[in-house]
Amino acid sequence: MADSRSNDTADAAIEGLQRVLGAGAQFGAPWKLAGGAMHDSWAVDQTGGGKPSELVVRVSPAGRADHEKTRREFEVLRVAHERGIRCPQPIGVGECAGGEDFLVMARETGDANPRQIVAGESFGEARRRLVPQLAEALAAIHTIAPRDVSAAPAMRAPAPGQDCLQFERQVVAEAYELYLLNPHPAIEWAFRWLDRELEGLPSTGREPCVVHGDFRIGNMLYDEQGLTSVLDWEGTHVGEPEEDISWFCTRVWRFGKHGMEAGGIASREGWIRAYEQASGRSISRQRVAAWEVLQNIRWCQITMMQARAHLDGQTNSHELAAIGRRTAETELEILRLTGVAERVAHAG
Amino acid sequence: MQDRPTAPELLDALGDFMRDRAANARDRWERFQFQVAANSISVLIRELEMEEGFLREEWRGLDALLGAEAAPEGQAALAAEISARNSKLVARIRAGDFDGPAEEPLLRHLFETVMNKVRIANPNEAG
Repeated sequence: MADSRSNDTADAAIEGLQRVLGAGAQFGAPWKLAGGAMHDSWAVDQTGGGKPSELVVRVSPAGRADHEKTRREFEVLRVAHERGIRCPQPIGVGECAGGEDFLVMARETGDANPRQIVAGESFGEARRRLVPQLAEALAAIHTIAPRDVSAAPAMRAPAPGQDCLQFERQVVAEAYELYLLNPHPAIEWAFRWLDRELEGLPSTGREPCVVHGDFRIGNMLYDEQGLTSVLDWEGTHVGEPEEDISWFCTRVWRFGKHGMEAGGIASREGWIRAYEQASGRSISRQRVAAWEVLQNIRWCQITMMQARAHLDGQTNSHELAAIGRRTAETELEILRLTGVAERVAHAG
Repeated sequence: MQDRPTAPELLDALGDFMRDRAANARDRWERFQFQVAANSISVLIRELEMEEGFLREEWRGLDALLGAEAAPEGQAALAAEISARNSKLVARIRAGDFDGPAEEPLLRHLFETVMNKVRIANPNEAG
């Protein structure tokens, strides 16, 4: 379906295409794909010879564009695609004269609607297939070592020998301080809970790997046969597998299917086992549990950041404003995951 | 005193308008925008109905944790003062004042105040 938003990044998409394919390249009129809050994605068909002909140009508006991040994403996509991971083939990356970022990719087939995959009746088979397929894709991503993408601008990474969870805890805490709109005693307590957990977690003794950084059910394309493509690699950085495994389980990404903790399509334990089978790695449940608390704190921080984008006047949007009121349900999830809800209920 | 419609009645009318626009939207994006808008209106209706009682509860909870203080008159002053007291609570949590046996009453307070926020912001999640 078409989109009634203004088409103000279409010119940037055309400029990006011409920079990548040459000024003489011919293509039809771009049309806007259903998209995220941060970027516009344009579908374009290249006409007259060149391959591949079905393209997507993702444009980050000037001001919101992060050139380094987009170039890094391109580089990681290139490595992932070469390794046969189901993801869009990256074709070109760069910046427009007006400051917009563009990323040109081959257009993948499939549907991105998460509500349909978690609940749609005709997608029962796809749901069943998707769990091992996603586990396999994620395990393959985690075989990418930081040195394999050395051409990319430096990725966020823990210090040598630093625990990945400890490192991300600091990343989340710094962002939380930056975006905080009002005091959150429950989140402060959750940081203390996490620090106590961290003291009790044995060291993994593993080398860090490249993680996707936003691996969730809404960032996939699928058809009735299951997974077709893993999308949205902009959050990619150096970490450990439990980070992606736990983000996939975070409550906000279950689209109402709360009995299926892993993206609304599998139990948490079923998902971890599928990953272990696909990767041959053993995954500590205790570590995943601590990560899932941190990931919910991260989601709290993101809700604050989005509300702040509206409140600071950066992006006037009632949708972003409304997301600020979703912090509370995530705090409640944190109190459930840490056993507080149960303890309070038992104390009467 | 204002004439009718009351604030909740006026918001109700706005919410109906948003829901109607969502049902007859031209595309998915527009439908979503009107659904979000209708949802925000519902949050405001619940807030008008429940927030004052919740603020009084939160004040009493903070009294138990930080020591009793006289509550200010008026809802806006009460909310502002609760925010200031929450900053104090945050500092005490960070300082470790609620580690050990003092954690139990803190957790009860945190659970109740978070639950009350959810009852207004998204009651489907409060179950």
